[in-house]
Amino acid sequence: MEAKQESSIITPGVVTMQDPTILILASLADGDKHGYAIMEDIHVFAGIRLGPGTLYGAICRLEQRGWIRAVKSEARRQPYRITAAGSQHLKEQLALLGQVVRTGNRRMREA
Amino acid sequence: MRTLIRWAARLYPPAWRNRYAAEFDALLDDISPSFGDVCDVLGDVLRVRANTSIDACLMLAPVPPINLRLPVFASLTVHAVMITIVLFAVWGHVTTMPLHIVAPLPPPAPEPPPQVTDGRVFPNALTLYSSLPLKIPAQGGALPVYVADGVGINFLSLPDIGATYRQGNAEWRVWPGQALESFIVRRVLPEYPRGSNAHGAVSVFVEYLITRGGSVKVLRTSGPPPFAGAAQLAIGRWVYQPLEYENRPCEVVSRVEVRFDSELARSGFSP
Repeated sequence: MEAKQESSIITPGVVTMQDPTILILASLADGDKHGYAIMEDIHVFAGIRLGPGTLYGAICRLEQRGWIRAVKSEARRQPYRITAAGSQHLKEQLALLGQVVRTGNRRMREA
Repeated sequence: MRTLIRWAARLYPPAWRNRYAAEFDALLDDISPSFGDVCDVLGDVLRVRANTSIDACLMLAPVPPINLRLPVFASLTVHAVMITIVLFAVWGHVTTMPLHIVAPLPPPAPEPPPQVTDGRVFPNALTLYSSLPLKIPAQGGALPVYVADGVGINFLSLPDIGATYRQGNAEWRVWPGQALESFIVRRVLPEYPRGSNAHGAVSVFVEYLITRGGSVKVLRTSGPPPFAGAAQLAIGRWVYQPLEYENRPCEVVSRVEVRFDSELARSGFSP
């Protein structure tokens, strides 16, 4: 029930989460992606279109923190992969977000 | 717009461009950039530049240990030498410095009452008490109080008002006549000397003493004899209440001007 409620809330165009790092980590959670693929994926599942500056600013920070790493590729488009530390950070953030969602829904029902 | 973004991307730091320029350029080929993307890139350029500057400022410059120790050692040595020299220089003064204990000053003695030492004062204790000119100019300060039958009495402004004169046990204070008005018991106005053939106004200045009992003793007069005698005779009959100063009986000296006017005397003027 709660999972259904969460999925209904995390709907493209409805979520207003503005932290691009979480969005990028979530996009990379199901596989390696390059910059344009990340941008399109986020646009699909979150309804947010990241600008090129925002996207590569976030990619730079994630790479410096060790949460993603570049995958060797000969193409111009550089794919990225989420690391174990990035996965752990993403889980923590999603758990926190889920707690916020559950608490908010419960209080809305009780109100 | 794409070209504009590429120009904006050149504002990134060299390290950023070396790492991300190629894939960033590929991304620009994949998307249809808008003006918002230009602003987005410029904003990220500013953020990266600011973080780079802050990091550069916070990063300590690598200093070899020998370069770090030498100035510190030299500074400590110089300071120690200077402190030692100062201690040697002042130690003798500090240990032999006398300790002065300053006793509190006694309270100032009360000022003695003014003692008149002028030889001209009290040349005759019974008749004169001061060297002040008895005849005081009439301009200003004269208050006409009583006028009847051509005779008026003016209270004079006294230049030595409030002064105390002493000789032996005698102590006289100078009070103005108007201040004595509330203590007067009996006043006798002088009579115009009918036998006089003077014309116009004649002034007689009278200096008198109020004794401790309240009676009046004329000390001296100034003026033509018939008028001065009339003034002395009348004022000598004045009576005051016993006067006190600082809760002690005192004798008081005052002065008045008695003005005789022949015209008013003949017309019988009486206000």
